[in-house]
Amino acid sequence: MLLNPVKFHTPKTLSEALQFYGSLDHVKLHAGGSFLLNSLKLLKRKGVKTPANIISLHKVEELKGISIDQEKLTIKSMTTIDELFDFPQLEDNFNVFRIVCRNISTQPIRNMATVGGNLTCRYTWTEMPAVMIGLEADLHFMGSDGKSQIIPAEEFFKNAARTDKILTHVTIKRDKKATIAYRRVKKSPYVDIPLLSTFLKTYFDRGRFTNTRVVINNCVAFAQRDHVLEDFLNQNTCANGIAQEALDHLDKTIYSTRSSDYKQHMFRVSIKSALEELIKSSKHSNK
Amino acid sequence: MMTLIINHKKYELDLKGNETLLEVLRDHLGLTGTKTGCEESECGTCTVNINGKAILSCVTFACALEGESITTIEGLAKGELLHPLQQAFLDHGSVQCGFCIPGMIMSAKALLDKNSEPTREEIDYALDGNLCRCGGYPKILEAIWQAGREMKKDQELKDIVNESIELSESVSAKST
Repeated sequence: MLLNPVKFHTPKTLSEALQFYGSLDHVKLHAGGSFLLNSLKLLKRKGVKTPANIISLHKVEELKGISIDQEKLTIKSMTTIDELFDFPQLEDNFNVFRIVCRNISTQPIRNMATVGGNLTCRYTWTEMPAVMIGLEADLHFMGSDGKSQIIPAEEFFKNAARTDKILTHVTIKRDKKATIAYRRVKKSPYVDIPLLSTFLKTYFDRGRFTNTRVVINNCVAFAQRDHVLEDFLNQNTCANGIAQEALDHLDKTIYSTRSSDYKQHMFRVSIKSALEELIKSSKHSNK
Repeated sequence: MMTLIINHKKYELDLKGNETLLEVLRDHLGLTGTKTGCEESECGTCTVNINGKAILSCVTFACALEGESITTIEGLAKGELLHPLQQAFLDHGSVQCGFCIPGMIMSAKALLDKNSEPTREEIDYALDGNLCRCGGYPKILEAIWQAGREMKKDQELKDIVNESIELSESVSAKST
């Protein structure tokens, strides 16, 4: 067998899941399973001890579904990547999810993997953290004591995605004015292993960048904002040549951490092309 | 004991918490059409359908699937009659070593059940998780297109039959 013996728990309700989570030791939550099973197999191969209990959230209906209104998008944590991609009402700033989900791994994985799993599995190379930081999402958790907690995505990933609670859902405010560009680069064209991703959001005010948010995932640390680039862009207009000039104003610590020449080059290519896309949409909307 | 519904058949199984669906299919039930490949969600040879969606059985806990409808490659043919996808793979010589084919067919089935006239891009997207080491992709694409056309014809035929049954039922109801 590829996995060490484990006790498998399948709660039907959130309160039952929370009860298990609060009372069991050496426990792991099971959402889609694509990260969990691979990591458990790897740990077994290495001879490392694996959790004694798995709590599967598969049957917890309260954690499934997506809803949207004029104010916000709510994504329950057990929503799969494919369900989010297929959700018909992804408009305005939510439209970026189509590009993000489209680029995640492969079809069977998109059918299995969940938004909640992608956010809380504590792998540094997952796609959702950068997007959630960029969209200023709120993550809603529930503890085994029944108390709920809301943590902004940026704060959650600054704290290395540590939590002893269950992520129930994510909320994102609708934003009709933001202009967004997203890029993801994989290590090889043949097998989907992410190398980096960049998320850029800005508001154009008479041709000026304002309230720009640049979120970088270098895949060796949790997604983080590049404040140096944000400050540079916020002091400038979207003139020709600004995308090239911006490359001299990057927070080098983010891009050089455990990075090869190729990776640094691809960061520059991604940021430049994302900025060009932003500038193009600004010109398009001004026409 | 736990009940798994595989290819429309109920199986009462004494499952351990650490068993993957792939292990259960092959080792407990002898459904060896689903292949063991990389076992780390990279190659797609272990693809099966759960509730109509392609998923990887090597990274799926069997215990989490109680009550779900699981379809493997063995569940496609009806007796001697092959599924249009299986027939199309034969017709087009799409099978070389054959190891990836069950996974390819299960991914293609999930696609064609939703969309019987997929574009090249839609096929690429739906089958991006299935690797063929023989490199037989062009023939596989041709087979999927043919199967889509066959499945559409079958569906149209079924619709006509259903309409005629409904019509004859309403006529007989009126006459009585």
